[in-house]
Amino acid sequence: MTVIATSEGRSRSAVGQGFPVWLGLAPFALVLAVLFAAPVLSLLRLAFGEGAFTLAQFQRLIDVPVYRSVLGTTFGIAGLVTGLSVLVSYPLAYVMATVGPRTRNLLLILVLLPFWTSALVRTTAWIILLQSNGVVNQLLMAGGLTASPIAFVYNLSGVLIGMTHVLMPFVVLPLYAAFRNLELSTVQAAESLGAGPLTIFSRIILPLTAPGVVAGAMIVFMNAIGFYLTPALMGGPGQTMIAQMIATNINKELDWPFAAALASVLLVATVSLLALFQRRFGLDRLIEGGGGKAGEPFTVTSRGRSWGGWATVVAAVLVAAFLIAPIVIVFPMSLGSSPFLSFPPDSYSLVWYENFFSTSKWMAALTRSLQIAALVVVISVGLGTLAALGVSRMRPRWRALVETLFILPMIVPVIILAVGLYYLLAPTGLVGSIWGVTLGHVVLATPYVFITVRAALKSFDGNLELAALGLGASWPTMFRRVMLPGIAPGIAAGAIFAFITSFDDVVIALFLTNIRSRTLPKLMYEGVAHEIDPTIIAASCLIILVTILVLGANLLVSKRT
Amino acid sequence: MKKLLIAAAVAALLAPVAASAKEMTFASWGGAYQEAIRKAWITPFSKESGIKVEEDTGPDTAKIKAMVDTKSVTWDVVTGGGGGLMRGVKLGLFEKITPDMVKTDHVLPGARNDYAIPSEIFSTLIGYSTKAFPATGAQPKSFADFWDTAKFPGKRTLPDAPETVVEAALLADGVPMADVYKTLSSEAGLKRALDKIRALKPQVAVWWSSGAQPVQALGSGDVVMALGWNGRFQAGIDSKLPIAMAWDQQIPQVGFFMIPKGAPNKAEAVAFLNYMVKPENNARLSEYVAYGPVTEQAWASIDASRAANLPSTPERLKNALFLDIEWWAENGAKVTEAYKAMLKE
Repeated sequence: MTVIATSEGRSRSAVGQGFPVWLGLAPFALVLAVLFAAPVLSLLRLAFGEGAFTLAQFQRLIDVPVYRSVLGTTFGIAGLVTGLSVLVSYPLAYVMATVGPRTRNLLLILVLLPFWTSALVRTTAWIILLQSNGVVNQLLMAGGLTASPIAFVYNLSGVLIGMTHVLMPFVVLPLYAAFRNLELSTVQAAESLGAGPLTIFSRIILPLTAPGVVAGAMIVFMNAIGFYLTPALMGGPGQTMIAQMIATNINKELDWPFAAALASVLLVATVSLLALFQRRFGLDRLIEGGGGKAGEPFTVTSRGRSWGGWATVVAAVLVAAFLIAPIVIVFPMSLGSSPFLSFPPDSYSLVWYENFFSTSKWMAALTRSLQIAALVVVISVGLGTLAALGVSRMRPRWRALVETLFILPMIVPVIILAVGLYYLLAPTGLVGSIWGVTLGHVVLATPYVFITVRAALKSFDGNLELAALGLGASWPTMFRRVMLPGIAPGIAAGAIFAFITSFDDVVIALFLTNIRSRTLPKLMYEGVAHEIDPTIIAASCLIILVTILVLGANLLVSKRT
Repeated sequence: MKKLLIAAAVAALLAPVAASAKEMTFASWGGAYQEAIRKAWITPFSKESGIKVEEDTGPDTAKIKAMVDTKSVTWDVVTGGGGGLMRGVKLGLFEKITPDMVKTDHVLPGARNDYAIPSEIFSTLIGYSTKAFPATGAQPKSFADFWDTAKFPGKRTLPDAPETVVEAALLADGVPMADVYKTLSSEAGLKRALDKIRALKPQVAVWWSSGAQPVQALGSGDVVMALGWNGRFQAGIDSKLPIAMAWDQQIPQVGFFMIPKGAPNKAEAVAFLNYMVKPENNARLSEYVAYGPVTEQAWASIDASRAANLPSTPERLKNALFLDIEWWAENGAKVTEAYKAMLKE
């Protein structure tokens, strides 16, 4: 133990034998250069004039106050949603780390459920729950808790509820992984020295889980900046976000130079914000955390749960209820017979399920979405893991720069990438095939894998690697036998995020698929300007049911063996 | 082996024949709308002409522009609204359609366009809850009633984009129909419209962004009056939601079919447009959605009960102010900025 401890200082700089940095960085860098930088830049340069150089678009941005205020709103909402997501994720992640495997897996399914419902279905369910004659207000008024309905939706609270609901899983998963990496002995030591629950949380849990939180919070923040469906449907006019304006200028106004200017400003602002954050709080140091993980993983100490622990459990139950509330009402809604959604439905029927199975387009689109998502997971897990390995072996000087470059696809509005990719891929004939949309999704999904694996690598003990190599293992053997098991949770989280990114995308599919290659979300969005076809609710229910069955069966099998 | 060779030779001979079988691709917005077009026009047109029509979805103007720019146009006919049409024309995205290609003398003059053939007329008007305003009492009739919160109390919903709202505001404020766009063109006139909307803001519970929202909000009772699309209100009424429409004042809009520049099967596209705009054919769409025909001659093929739900009857067009798509192409960006700023206050 002491020997290893003295080599600690060296271990982080000494690694690199057998694994060249370029091998890690090159594949993803190449993909980014061709499928991201080239198409995006070709569109963004329109902001500076087609032909002669001009800053007229930026002048308009400055002259018209509404754009500045929308930019402010965007960052404000993204910040609030990030804060809320972290706040509500702690109790849940804590409970997940301290219960038996059965309950834990159950909670895991729960956390992932919002991911499996289309954004359209989710927001519709929330509105039906929260509108002034909605389920929640009716319950509150029946219980005498309020005399007149509370305005939960069509304002800021609606946006925060809708966005936190779907983004918080991005924090829960890495945070749970961080909790698992905590050493029980640390907490036991603190307890025996008389630390109360609050002290333990602020002095031990908070700093040691910071890497997971920072990774999750970064994902939430950058994701939130690009949101526009949820704010448009659940918010009021005060919550218009910049992505919505960019999409309107691309699609409706056909003012691409101005859309490019808006996107450029958003990009620069987000990157500066990240840089500022990094300088002020030392992102790298925060992520660094961890250390030797030889001890027992974190769980409830032998003293049982403290009052703080129990309070957290109560909070976690509330958070769990928040997560499943809209999903629970989706099931009865899918059984309503009216094409206008209500809860509870006036009369019941299976007509939307019949519709799903009798019209071949729904099954075809679902199958295609699954195919594409599977391809995306395989490719992006490979690219992202290699990139994370490469970056962790880089000199610190360049690391921050490369890290930022690698997560840029999360910041650039998807519609800019989608249009750029169309121009790039149209001559190759890939538009309309499943490969065009797959490549687009790989660009979007790989940064998620990169971030989660990077976080996992940071809390991976370099001494283990050194020990294995020192004992004569080749680098590939060491990777397979020592490192891979260590960072597996990070890879798994990344794979899930990559799957969701592909499975939920509408914008790339809108531009790069046709009727023969359309994905399920694209099919769901067709005609949405006019109507919401309740078949999409039935489709969501089926996906949820299948997910629960598969995960549940997995649970049973793993329990028996 | 010999048999295979012969089969291959036969196939090679047949191939050009198969390729020359006439076909075209039609792209629209999917859902109930495209299904109505399929039943009313695509299927009967294919049967009559022998031209096979492939369907696609999602003809966003941005995607049309990308197709035209990269010379990879796969669509022969696309559908769109006036806004998309005008912006596309400015960027040269659509083929010009001359009278010797498609005859449009019989089409309503306000609906004609050099780069598109009008397909249907839909309308923005007041939908209201019959629970809040039953037939036994006063029911809203005009845009002035929409703004009259003393006579018709309760929450409203308005679109989150300015098209049709600024027009309705001026009409409610007493501006004659003929002067609406002239008034809006002046700084003071636009301010007058925005002030009128600003005054109603506290009563507007929802600023809607998708056509399904106003119907949903009326159905749930979250609002009692909505400015929305007649086809959507009708769908709500057909599903027995307590909704009625005020037909006395409305802002009709035209739906268009266009041919993207460089469409691979232009001749077939022209044949399809000719078929679609013929009065007896044009009348057929209203069997499936509550959109009106673009020519007066179509009414001969539409019975009275169906006409009662359609916006473009000669009677109803008397009190209708057609959305001026050229005015919006000119002023849209500026007015949208002012509207968004007013909403954000």
